[in-house]
Amino acid sequence: MDFIPHDKETIKEMLEAIGVKSLKELFQDIPKDLIIDKLNLPSGLSEPDLLFQIKKISQKNKNYSSSFLGAGCYYHYIPSLIDFVISRSEFYTSYTPYQAEASQGYLQAMYEYQTIISQLTQMDVSNASMYDGSTALAEAAIMSTIITRKNSVILLKGIHPEYEEVVRTYCWGQNIRILSTDEEDLHTKVKNEIAAVLFQSPNFFGDIEDISKLIKNVREKAPNCLVIQVMTDPTCLGVLNPPGSTDIDIFVAEGQSFGLNPSFGGPGLGIFTTKQKFLRKIPGRLIGKTNEINGKNYGFILTLQAREQHIRRERASSNICTNQALCSLAALTYLLALGRNGLREVAIQNFQKAHYLKKELSKIKGYEILNRKPTYNEFIVKCPNIDALINFCKQNNLQPPLKLSKYYPEMGNIALVCVTEMNSKKSIDKFLELARSALNSKKEENLK
Amino acid sequence: MNSNIQSIFDKENETIQMNFVPKMDIEQTNLNQIIPENLQRKDLPIPNVTEIEIVRHFINLSNKNYGVDTGIYPLGSCTMKYNPKINETIAKLSDFINIHPLQEENQGCLELLYHTSELLGEITGMDGFTLQPAAGAHGELVGLLIIKKFFENKRIKKQKIIIPDSAHGTNPASAKMAGFSIIELTSNEFGEVPLDQLEFALKEGDVAGIMLTNPNTLGIFDRQIKEITRLVHQYGGLCYYDGANLNPMLGICRPRDMGFDIVHLNLHKTFSTPHGGGGPGSGPIGVIEELIPYLPKPCLFSSEKGIMCNNNNDLSIGRIKAFWGNFGVIIRAYAYILALGAEGLKKVGEIAVLNANYLRVLLKEKYNLPFNRICQHEFILSDQGIPNEITTEDIAKRILDYGIYAPTIYFPLIVPGAMMIEPTETESKHSLDNFIEVMNKIYEEARTQPELLKEAPHNMPIKRLDAVTAARKPILHD
Repeated sequence: MDFIPHDKETIKEMLEAIGVKSLKELFQDIPKDLIIDKLNLPSGLSEPDLLFQIKKISQKNKNYSSSFLGAGCYYHYIPSLIDFVISRSEFYTSYTPYQAEASQGYLQAMYEYQTIISQLTQMDVSNASMYDGSTALAEAAIMSTIITRKNSVILLKGIHPEYEEVVRTYCWGQNIRILSTDEEDLHTKVKNEIAAVLFQSPNFFGDIEDISKLIKNVREKAPNCLVIQVMTDPTCLGVLNPPGSTDIDIFVAEGQSFGLNPSFGGPGLGIFTTKQKFLRKIPGRLIGKTNEINGKNYGFILTLQAREQHIRRERASSNICTNQALCSLAALTYLLALGRNGLREVAIQNFQKAHYLKKELSKIKGYEILNRKPTYNEFIVKCPNIDALINFCKQNNLQPPLKLSKYYPEMGNIALVCVTEMNSKKSIDKFLELARSALNSKKEENLK
Repeated sequence: MNSNIQSIFDKENETIQMNFVPKMDIEQTNLNQIIPENLQRKDLPIPNVTEIEIVRHFINLSNKNYGVDTGIYPLGSCTMKYNPKINETIAKLSDFINIHPLQEENQGCLELLYHTSELLGEITGMDGFTLQPAAGAHGELVGLLIIKKFFENKRIKKQKIIIPDSAHGTNPASAKMAGFSIIELTSNEFGEVPLDQLEFALKEGDVAGIMLTNPNTLGIFDRQIKEITRLVHQYGGLCYYDGANLNPMLGICRPRDMGFDIVHLNLHKTFSTPHGGGGPGSGPIGVIEELIPYLPKPCLFSSEKGIMCNNNNDLSIGRIKAFWGNFGVIIRAYAYILALGAEGLKKVGEIAVLNANYLRVLLKEKYNLPFNRICQHEFILSDQGIPNEITTEDIAKRILDYGIYAPTIYFPLIVPGAMMIEPTETESKHSLDNFIEVMNKIYEEARTQPELLKEAPHNMPIKRLDAVTAARKPILHD
């Protein structure tokens, strides 16, 4: 099938109007030997055949009934309302709102997104979105080097390993030096030559950091060094202190938890916030509220575009153009739907349910919870027979937790477990039962 | 219609509904024992709003927004074609949307990614693809990092990238993010690359490559393309193809055959995935065989066991995004390519060019056409010679009054007062004729009622906004 409206007659009529004899003539500027005869692709498909064929591919995936896997992508409940809103084609088939007068609806929504993110994080300003959490963190690192005119950043242990890789790639591009350290050793590394310290909380292993203490440690050694926090599941802000209540300079997060499906990891949403004083260094689009030139109404408009690539070209603060607009609309709708009561309840349930599993798991002989700090919906546990546990989970239609050896080969017997409000007590109890069986399975193996 | 829609934050009401949270089914521990009280927030200032208020709010907002589904969207270089609805259905299949990026039973997703890479390879002629980049500009950055790594690995110091002045602003910004400095070329009287300037820049040395959009932002296919890429290669540089304008080339000619080594595509332009009001997009990068080892991680390959993933490539530029790219967007592009097939894609290229030329010829009767020759997917008009000092902005705002979205304006920068018009292949003759009629009417208005244009728009929810104050004293949230 195709989506071309013309029949042969119309094409002929249009060619005549143009004053050429054939469609071929329209490509007269292209050197003859570059013109191809035909692409080597299959013939087109009708809608039912297309649907059938791709559905068959999708069924090669396993769609679990319940999951204990998080690690940067989370299963939270998504209200039906969200798909309804983002499926309004006035939104999803529109372009970047360059013509403000014909885009007031979306511009207002994006402004409201910036507002609700500021409320949630208590940071001074939020941009209209970045690609995802990992690139938001990388751009934050670059922004810190522009602000401080220093050329090194420190990464604290516990940042999502894929995020860390992305930061390394971006920084290599601009010849920014990267140092790695852990909290104990931070004070020896922080110096005045450092642009920023980057850390994740709750971190990849689940630990919730004492942020005020961390900032104090940095400031004592280097008052001008920025502190940048990243978060992979910001639903925890339903209960946890907002980053803006501390002296965090840049706060970024992955917003997938706010109403976006896992969808194999994308599209997600990069949340990017900072202090007022760094406003003019922020990458990405910003929506502002302003008045009509000759009128009494207010309206919304893309603003501070002098930072952006289409005006400033190579002197822009970033090259970002297209962002994740529709995902920010989903996040806005999610936060409104949940509201302050609902979001708090989601956070509480994540704390409580993960705590329940953590507590019960630690009672089983051979399982050791490794977190020494408070945790949200993820924690790490040393397992007596991790492979048996993972296999049992799969056999029982439970998405197993992450084996940390995927990223840290030395952590072969450690699992990163995630529990959200979507895990029923029944599924958690089943997991506990499987954990016990895995233990026995090990004993049997040993006896053999 | 001059009325503002009340902010959603003024629709707060004291609902304590918990419609979207499952019932708590475990015995609770005192929260302070799980998380110390000093780490808990004291208040959460986001509003409680009822579902019906939220729905009405967004329906009312959507009514103040224009999409391709509303009408023609002739925004140059943005390829605002129809977004087929079947693609939405397919992208929302539960066996796609519920799949975790780190789960092991993911053959369906990996196969789809791998097949899409193969299809894009055939369409562009490139040997290898990564689907990781989240947007065109992200793809540009990846392409340039590949160039950087390529020369680093060969221990050749090359720090400059050549970019013509007709390029999209993302090109120079991306080159800078990859650590390059920029040599700008001034387009010649045909909007093409000046070969003498190019050779001069190459001779100066230190040139890692060139970034080119072809057809360029004037809608003109550069007739010397083979000579350009040959020259750059002769001086040891690489050629980067900005795929923002690939649409008219579909099934007609391929970037690889033009001599390009690296190509980025915008799936949200050429391959019909909705632009979403500015994303999410997808900006795959295709490369020639020699550059495949430099592609970002993870790389997919086909084996007896199915599609596998390689994370251990020393030459790779590294990871550029967590997980696998904007998978949900890639599904839609995949569906589009399969639906159209070889014949359908060729028709896209042909009709995109037919539609653009039809508008060009009929609009030049009244409007100034700085480059009067066959165009590809788009062409440029300018406000030169329009009566009563009417500007491009006035015309754009007046177009809105007629229920049509405006073209890209004041771009490319090399044409003062540019209006860049790209109708795409999915507009019917009827729709194009209507656009021509509106443009002609506006020209008449410029002659007879210039005030009407200077104060436009009149039929939109708001009049022109004060952009200067917005930037001087930014208000970015309530």
